[in-house]
Amino acid sequence: MLVICILGVQALSKDWLETGFLALLPTGEQQPEIAKATRQHNELSNRKVIWLAGAATSQDAINHAQKLKQQLEQSRLFSKVVLEFTQQRYIEQYRQLFPYRYQLLDAQTQAILAANPGRLIEQNLEILNSPVGQMQAADLERDPALLFSRYFSAQNPIKLNLEQGIVVLSDRHRFWALLLTDLQDERLQLDKLETLSGLADSATEQVKAAGGELLVSGMPLFTAHGAESAKQEISTVGIGSSLGIIVLLWATFRSVRPLVLSSLAIGSGLFAALVICVLFFGKIHILTLVFGASLIGVADDYAQHFLCDSFGERDWNPRKGLKFILPGLTLGLISNLLSYAGLGFSPFPGLQEVALFSAMGLLVAWLTVVLLFPLLLTGFAFNHQPGILKLTTYWEQHWPLWLNKNQRWLGLMLTVFIASGLWKLAPQDDVRLLQSPPPELIRTADKIRSLFPLTPDNQFFLVSGKDQSDWHQNEQTLLKRLEILKQQKTLTAYQGLSSYWPDVNQQQQNYRLLKDKLYDSGLLERYMMELGFDKSAVTAEYKQFAGSENNTLTLAGWLATADETKQQLWLGCDSGRCQSTVALIGINDVNALTALQDLPGVIWVDQVESVSSLFARYRIRASGLLAIAFCLASVGLGFKFGWRNGATIMSVPVVALAVSLAMLGWFDQLFSLFNLFALLLVLGIGVDYGLFFFMAGDRRASTSLGVTLSALTTLLAFGLLAISSTEIVHAFGFTVTCGIVTALLCAPLIGLKDIQSSNTMERR
Amino acid sequence: MILLKALLLYLLAFGQGISGEAILTEIAARLIKTPITQGDFHQQKHLKVLHKPLISTGTFTYDQNKGVIWKTLTPVASLLLVNESKLLTGQGEQALPAAFGKVFKAMLGGDLAALSDGFTITGTDRKTSWQLELTPKDEMLKRIISTMLLSGDSELRNLEIREAGGNITRTAFDNITHPTQLTDEQQADFERLSP
Repeated sequence: MLVICILGVQALSKDWLETGFLALLPTGEQQPEIAKATRQHNELSNRKVIWLAGAATSQDAINHAQKLKQQLEQSRLFSKVVLEFTQQRYIEQYRQLFPYRYQLLDAQTQAILAANPGRLIEQNLEILNSPVGQMQAADLERDPALLFSRYFSAQNPIKLNLEQGIVVLSDRHRFWALLLTDLQDERLQLDKLETLSGLADSATEQVKAAGGELLVSGMPLFTAHGAESAKQEISTVGIGSSLGIIVLLWATFRSVRPLVLSSLAIGSGLFAALVICVLFFGKIHILTLVFGASLIGVADDYAQHFLCDSFGERDWNPRKGLKFILPGLTLGLISNLLSYAGLGFSPFPGLQEVALFSAMGLLVAWLTVVLLFPLLLTGFAFNHQPGILKLTTYWEQHWPLWLNKNQRWLGLMLTVFIASGLWKLAPQDDVRLLQSPPPELIRTADKIRSLFPLTPDNQFFLVSGKDQSDWHQNEQTLLKRLEILKQQKTLTAYQGLSSYWPDVNQQQQNYRLLKDKLYDSGLLERYMMELGFDKSAVTAEYKQFAGSENNTLTLAGWLATADETKQQLWLGCDSGRCQSTVALIGINDVNALTALQDLPGVIWVDQVESVSSLFARYRIRASGLLAIAFCLASVGLGFKFGWRNGATIMSVPVVALAVSLAMLGWFDQLFSLFNLFALLLVLGIGVDYGLFFFMAGDRRASTSLGVTLSALTTLLAFGLLAISSTEIVHAFGFTVTCGIVTALLCAPLIGLKDIQSSNTMERR
Repeated sequence: MILLKALLLYLLAFGQGISGEAILTEIAARLIKTPITQGDFHQQKHLKVLHKPLISTGTFTYDQNKGVIWKTLTPVASLLLVNESKLLTGQGEQALPAAFGKVFKAMLGGDLAALSDGFTITGTDRKTSWQLELTPKDEMLKRIISTMLLSGDSELRNLEIREAGGNITRTAFDNITHPTQLTDEQQADFERLSP
């Protein structure tokens, strides 16, 4: 225990709490390149928070945004707060790429030049004469054919309106000033997240008070909300079950020592679990702690059984008690550990944590009870007959008899109930159930997406080739298909590097295209002369063109000029393979896009879909696991107590499992992978209860008190989980609750024949 | 910024009661105000790099509620459509700075403080004609436009935009009429602006 304390101090002095949603999802399942692409794809969005300050006039919107900017900068939460988009970056990029203007052509210009170069000249005249054309023709002197101007504006296909350097968007009612922020750290600490949501709330209020409106969205806010509700749930479950245990223990034992000892068992169990988890995983997820809080109710069982046993015999002492109860406790521990081990075999880091946390918590609680209780309880005896004991004794004696008497119709009803419940059961494997953000958050996110349609969707394409030119060709093939889909409005926009950076071959082709169609044909000369350029300007332009023939822009050179959203599309070349991602914006029809994965070197990556299908696969695998655990427990019990007795004990978890499942069906609850893990627990606890009653012998009264108390505390813990707002936590709690209630109701039937005979003997 | 010029042009041309500065009030009183105005334009752009002006001609239509159609007929036929929130050219939808919408609204709604906020205005008002000179107050805008000269009688007849870089655009308006209804073709063009 000392060792754990010392380790604990070390482990917990670091940053040990994990809150991000993605940390719960498995990574090992995916191919490494898809995992890498996914990570890089998410990297930016995981830190990004988008703020839109709205008002009736753009000036007011800008004023709100400027005030907000100061506030955000003072918070020190962000590594970047961008309100004014300086032209500096564009000027710089223009300057760096300009020397390669004869090699860099956008797809549209290529097509026009190839088909009808005269049309290009017409378009230029249109731009030059337009009352709004000055921007596009600003560099006419150095770029007389406006080739580079075309390429440059194709780089930023969605045009944003700038006012005083600030992006101002508008809808029918309001103007919105855009503010983009990046959080400092992708893996966010809980206090930072709280600060963030606090900041978002107070800023929203302030802007509202000033007559405006503020919209805030971003992945970190969703995470913050999840962490917030998880924290609330931890305290609800923790405080609720602690209070319940105190009340129950006090009512039963009316003494301080059992209370203190129970707390010791629970406390050391939880603390050890936390420390070992942090040591093993490095960090522990907040959702693990939600489940961990429910462990209070389970870890308490051992202490309660021990203590309750003291009512079983008149001249009870702790050592004798231990001797009697140890086999039951040990078997109980083993069956519980077995069921948690089942969780550990899932690929989900979150569930592995829950498994290790719970297993360690139980093991240490058990050790505390077995090793310390005999010492600490020395000389302890009850001199009262607790009311609750009378109650449970009465219940234990009459309930099974009543059940037995009415077994026919009860059995029939139960069968019908279970069968129809199972009939209604429908599995659901959507990964989004892991998070249950409040509807306002989703509405705001949708509203922002409609105003500022630049945030890439979750899905993307991964494109590879054996070298740069192979990759380039594959991506170009994909982009051509995407362009068609874009025109059909299947998606709003897409972003692929190859549309901005032509590879070396393409650069040479572009140059030759210009040479044939524009320069050598004399078209450019005629156009320049007609516009009114001096003869010398024409000569200079032709000379520039001739001198640029061997210019080549490398991908690295191009990337160096690009902004980070474009840079992150490139995944690099290694071991004979080059890869990039193609980001998609505003997808309307996923099916049309998935069809494109048949193209060479193209992989469709749908993170949500792939994790959901993973859930489905593991739901089936977890069913197998449940069956294996069931068989193991049956074989173990059969081996120890004989097959007939083994089957009797196992009937408790069997009925509990069946009723749990039926309840899920009847109440139309979520049935996913996570329920199966809950069922593993039900199996473990059901075996416990059956076992305790089976081994009770003549101490049925104290056993039923022990089982009832432990069931009540466990129920309290998992019942409280069932009120969680996170779907899966709720489903977990609901399943375990139903299972335990059933197990509690069935368990007294075990060993019933013995009591009937012993009762009659006692009465004589 | 360039669009601002275009908008100002039409808004001033069919100005909706300009007040604030006395001269604006006087001139506004002389202008014919109707919901729809149309006419021909003749535009000369003097670009520094070219030794002759770019000349274009065409027609324009202004509708108080729907926006502006700027239809170039020579040297190349093309169409430009603009309203409060959208700008369409032959190259597709273009960025429309919110400032233009603001000026647009200021003009239409008679919120003149907004206009004299943005520009220093001087002018002369003679019996037969009037002239206004607008200089931007905003530093950003100043870097692009040095002055705008407007002149006319009961209509805006001439507009001259002098850019800070030395380019000058002169536009003359002729055959101005005030129909009560849009033609089908004009209707169809405005239809493209609606979201």
